[in-house]
Amino acid sequence: MKKYAYYVEPYNETERPRRFLEAFAAILKHSNYGFVLDTYSRTSTKCARCACNCQVFEQSGDPRDVPCYRTELLLRVYRRYFTLNGTLRARLFNGFVLTDDYIDEMAEAMYRCTACRRCKFGCPMGVDHGLMTHLSRWILAEIGIVPKALVVATREQLQGKTGNTSAIPVVALKDTCEFLEEELLENYNLPAKFPMDVEGAEYVFFPAVSDYLLEPDTLMGNAAVMHLTGGSWTIGTGYYDGINYGLFYNDALLDRIVSKEAQEIKRLKAKKALIGECGHASRSAKAFLPTFCGGKNAPPVINIMEYSHKALLDGRLKVKSGAIHERVTYHDPCNIARSKWIINQPRELLEAICKDFVDMVPCGQMNICCGGGAGTVSVDEIRSFRTGIGGRTKADQIRKTGAKYLVAPCANCKKQLREVCEDNELHDVQVVGLHDLILKALDLEAYGITPPKKDDEGKE
Amino acid sequence: MEQWLQWARGPAFKFAFLLMVLGLLRQIILAVIGIAQAWNRAGDKTIPKKVVFQTTLQWLFPLKKLNNNRPAYSAMSVIFHIGLIFTPVLLLPHIELWKRGLGIAWPSLPHALADVFTLVTVAAALGLIIGRLGNKESRRISRVQDIALPPLMALPFITGYLAMHPVLNPIGYNVVMFIHVMSANAIFALIPFSKLGHIILLPTTQLVSELGWHFPAASGVDVSRTLKKENVPI
Repeated sequence: MKKYAYYVEPYNETERPRRFLEAFAAILKHSNYGFVLDTYSRTSTKCARCACNCQVFEQSGDPRDVPCYRTELLLRVYRRYFTLNGTLRARLFNGFVLTDDYIDEMAEAMYRCTACRRCKFGCPMGVDHGLMTHLSRWILAEIGIVPKALVVATREQLQGKTGNTSAIPVVALKDTCEFLEEELLENYNLPAKFPMDVEGAEYVFFPAVSDYLLEPDTLMGNAAVMHLTGGSWTIGTGYYDGINYGLFYNDALLDRIVSKEAQEIKRLKAKKALIGECGHASRSAKAFLPTFCGGKNAPPVINIMEYSHKALLDGRLKVKSGAIHERVTYHDPCNIARSKWIINQPRELLEAICKDFVDMVPCGQMNICCGGGAGTVSVDEIRSFRTGIGGRTKADQIRKTGAKYLVAPCANCKKQLREVCEDNELHDVQVVGLHDLILKALDLEAYGITPPKKDDEGKE
Repeated sequence: MEQWLQWARGPAFKFAFLLMVLGLLRQIILAVIGIAQAWNRAGDKTIPKKVVFQTTLQWLFPLKKLNNNRPAYSAMSVIFHIGLIFTPVLLLPHIELWKRGLGIAWPSLPHALADVFTLVTVAAALGLIIGRLGNKESRRISRVQDIALPPLMALPFITGYLAMHPVLNPIGYNVVMFIHVMSANAIFALIPFSKLGHIILLPTTQLVSELGWHFPAASGVDVSRTLKKENVPI
């Protein structure tokens, strides 16, 4: 019988509460979570202001989607089994006991949350419910409860032959890149290259690896910008995947995956990591390379949108202003917007090339999640939940802008938003990456390149 | 009754106040140790200090935060807090007590204004209860303390008001003063053991949430080792 909305691989289901507590104890011992849980237990006021920030709750109205309620599911276990107060209270009053049903409730609740962390901004006590979801998912994963879709991808990335989540072998990678180089030459007269295994380059490029399968225009845009601005970059054939599902369910895997990036940068004697447009790939590198790979000595991380933005400002990137005639809007990926890391850079790029750029309301740091955050987008069996409940608020937002192009830099957001548009009758909206549009708006003449006469310029 | 009041004002007050001071001291020491330990263990020690500081200030003075979520309830909460902090501290009879006891004094609220503050605070407490119980989400997640604390906090205000307005007082000065002092004592004593602890922990919570994401560099490896999963395939 199916217990959760998502598939879980068969696992040892005996004594789950005991094993849950063992995993919880091990995590508390070796991490900083205990102290955070203490603080949240002491201060949480249960005011339900967070509910107003949650796009899942807004649509479902289901009390279990109130962030504070979900967090309390974990805090209750913590207090009962890991604090003196809770243990005494349980002895005296025959209190709460962790049961199989309770674990199932947690497992369901934690994967309804997209860990977008919007609710944190509504909490007077600063409780980060996204962190609590993150921790709960780790504990659950340690006893075997984790969506199959996430495990399968991580397994291929860490143990498979191809070493990446989309299982793209190096041969296919090279083929794809050669094909894209030909396309660039043919359509734009641009002799841009995807440099492979160049030692001593400044940047090693890690896009969400699915881009090689699904987003040729984004990659061509990336290569064109790097070529025209004279960027020193390379793709390492040892490891070329920016995706990190460890961020969604397991710190141990997060560590192992992000370390592969550090190793590849070291192998190629490069200096920095250049992450593709993808939001979660960027955050997992930016925040966790320093954590797991040497603190201040870890290679610096920049996102390609930051790179292009800087190139635009110092004049190395030349674009035709107003080249994109249709209305364009921008979706902030939670993973790069909540920390205010990347909010204005893509907007300034878009304003430089678009005639009609409109923002959604709200946007920026307080943007609304696409509804597929924290890996749930990979879980195909919950699509109706993702697009019907999780993504409906987003769909309304998009509809209000009336945009034709929806720029969504993150690979996760892109997949989710395409499905949201499909399922919410937004058939005219085209979900694209930022560099897809930059590619169309490049001022090639300014670089002395005559683009070939082709009628698809006007057609787009 | 006279003797009971003396007891409430004397030993009971001293006990409750000491309990509060010691309890809060314990909480703040634990918080500082926790923060230091988490930071020491963190693989990435760079904290966005400015952002954390600004967010902390924004929540200590949350006027900008009122408009978006549950605005009426939030406004009520802010009014309640202002009343709770300023009325007892700036009340003339209370300042007289400080003067008599420790010889320190400060300017007080005019009598009429103190009355207004008191009534507004009581109304805000009532509003908070209605806001909590009238909202499906917050009602469902409320614990006993969430519902019981606002009336308890309002009790010293109601009794204080009655003590200052004998005409309205149905139960006699000493009785009402006894309830006044004892309810305040109860609040002092409960502060370290309930969510009221936020009076000292609130300035730390934003930093704690930020530190929560700064994992120890070896946490993943250590947990796998403890659970004997180092060589187990994914």
